[in-house]
Amino acid sequence: MDKLLLSKNDLSKFINELIKKNKVFAPVESNGTIIFEQITKPAEMNLDFCKSQYPPKALIFNQTETLFKFTPGTKAKIESVELDEKKVIFGIRPCDAKSIAILDHAFKGDYKDPYFLKKRENTVLVGLSCNKPEINCFCTSFDDTPASSKYLDILLTDIGDSYFVEVTNEKGKQLTKGMRQFFKTAKESDEKKKKEIEKKAIDMISRHQKTNGITEKLDKIFENPFWKDIAFKCVGCGTCTYLCPTCHCFDIQDESTLTKGARVRVWDTCMNPEYTLHASGYNPRPARTNRVRNRIYHKYNYYPKNYDVIACVGCGRCIDLCPVNIDIIDVVTRAGEVKP
Amino acid sequence: MVDEKQLKDAVKKTVSRDDVKYVVGYEKGTYGFQTTPCFAYKPEDSEKFIFSPLCVQNLSVFPMLEEKPPLRKGEEADMRKIGVVVKGCDSRAIVQIIQEKGLDRDKVVIIGIPCTGVIDPKKIKAKFPGHIKKIEVKDEDDKFVVTVDGKTQKIAKDELIPDKCRTCEYPTPVLYDILIGKEIKSNKKEDYKKVNDFEKKSLKDKWEYWEKQFDKCIRCYACRNSCPLCYCKECMVDQLNPQWVRRSVNLSENTAWNLLRAFHLAGRCIGCGQCERACPMDIPLMELNKKIEKEIKDMFEYEAGVNAEEKPLLAMFKPDDPEDFIL
Repeated sequence: MDKLLLSKNDLSKFINELIKKNKVFAPVESNGTIIFEQITKPAEMNLDFCKSQYPPKALIFNQTETLFKFTPGTKAKIESVELDEKKVIFGIRPCDAKSIAILDHAFKGDYKDPYFLKKRENTVLVGLSCNKPEINCFCTSFDDTPASSKYLDILLTDIGDSYFVEVTNEKGKQLTKGMRQFFKTAKESDEKKKKEIEKKAIDMISRHQKTNGITEKLDKIFENPFWKDIAFKCVGCGTCTYLCPTCHCFDIQDESTLTKGARVRVWDTCMNPEYTLHASGYNPRPARTNRVRNRIYHKYNYYPKNYDVIACVGCGRCIDLCPVNIDIIDVVTRAGEVKP
Repeated sequence: MVDEKQLKDAVKKTVSRDDVKYVVGYEKGTYGFQTTPCFAYKPEDSEKFIFSPLCVQNLSVFPMLEEKPPLRKGEEADMRKIGVVVKGCDSRAIVQIIQEKGLDRDKVVIIGIPCTGVIDPKKIKAKFPGHIKKIEVKDEDDKFVVTVDGKTQKIAKDELIPDKCRTCEYPTPVLYDILIGKEIKSNKKEDYKKVNDFEKKSLKDKWEYWEKQFDKCIRCYACRNSCPLCYCKECMVDQLNPQWVRRSVNLSENTAWNLLRAFHLAGRCIGCGQCERACPMDIPLMELNKKIEKEIKDMFEYEAGVNAEEKPLLAMFKPDDPEDFIL
């Protein structure tokens, strides 16, 4: 790992250099909310935020993805889509970067998803440590930290008047090739400063989820009335799943007019009854209880069983924005305490 | 300020009735300023019930969310009533649904709370963004007394209330079985200020504004699901055959969804603002609803959800209804 130092004064120069060669996506303030958008100059960025409202997973696993285009009719022509563009996501938080690593398992499992994998390959994640975790942040419940470089190609940490820069892999090295003039080699004292800032951020996190043994516990309480109790106040919208950085279910549809059409892949949500509706009209998850339970089980039981990792990174978006305060920290912690 | 003891007693009494299935009200949420819907099935459950200006949800959505799973052989449907704790605006939703015959009057027990204004969760979160542990909010004339982790501040209501409370004409529920405390009269008047200001813009500016808003929509349908008046058995956006709105999330389909939603609530929206509150992308949906509400008030002198005996707007005809908008 290369440990470097980037003066804050040089950040714009570095970003400008990145923009020259790549499409750069960064946190931008739009109508009072932070979202990741393509930027054309560094001034468009807003780095004073905790998390973007909409998860940056959408830059790799887009909410609407055109798989291919076609012309309907007997002389159908099929046209594939371009996936080769190089992308840099700048300012992504360590939790969101981890979520993309979690998605990898699903998209390169038995079936290798060419769309996700190609974009993943062409995207460099330049992260920014989170110095001010918010009330519902709980990444530390999964043994991660707000300043972990584990899932990033490059991680910047604000240590005062400069950024402590960790280049963790070959992808990161390639990106910064020819840009070394902006960086200095970091001193041990700089690294110490980063560790202090990381510690401070960890200490700031005030809410914790008890995940010990949760996967095994869930095996025993599937039919427990606890789930009915949790789900009763759910109104059944898709906010929790659409804003979740690890949710990855999708629906595939052909959308066409008389002259042109496309096969599109769009995010789907297990909160929607249609999600499990069979062609026969039968629905194996007919009630909200079944659906709310499924969301928790997918993250804390099925995913760990399949891929050995809990499919939650502790970003807290689902808690922040649930209209009825269904709180995954509380639900999972309480599930751990339920008597089977 | 609502007497919580009186509320708890009313809930206890209601849930103790043989003909009541459960009562839905509010309890303290899991963090910060949150409150959350809670359900009393037994008299002792009433102990957790609270009411404060943080109780923002419109709970009249819950009778409409009742799921009716197929009955097993010999099983009988549970026809008991549902008790609902409502504020003034929330009660109008129940009235409107009763008008539309979506709900029988005798299937709900309405516990009404005269409301002096709620706190907009987004506004208070912006004011106190930290890791809050203990909070208390009290009501004092034109101020909220907010105590956060031991420190008390008095904040002018105007700073924290949502738009709907600024012009609320019905602070006391328009329909109730039990009223907690005394009736409150309002001297406020809906002035449609935002709508009037917006109407002055050019068509191009209007479209630009809404395109920017609809572009943000992620089609999670939190607006629909939080809305007590959105209770169609199958929503047209969920229909598969024919498929009225495509699943693709783009400006065109998002516009279709958001406008269809607003139009479907014409003459039905009672202005509780749940759609806008629930929207995770902060789309100002009430501006659409209010525009339609204003047009209807101007043309038909009709206001949704104020009189359970009245017919719904779209189900009645008067010989002198204006026709000048018909081409």
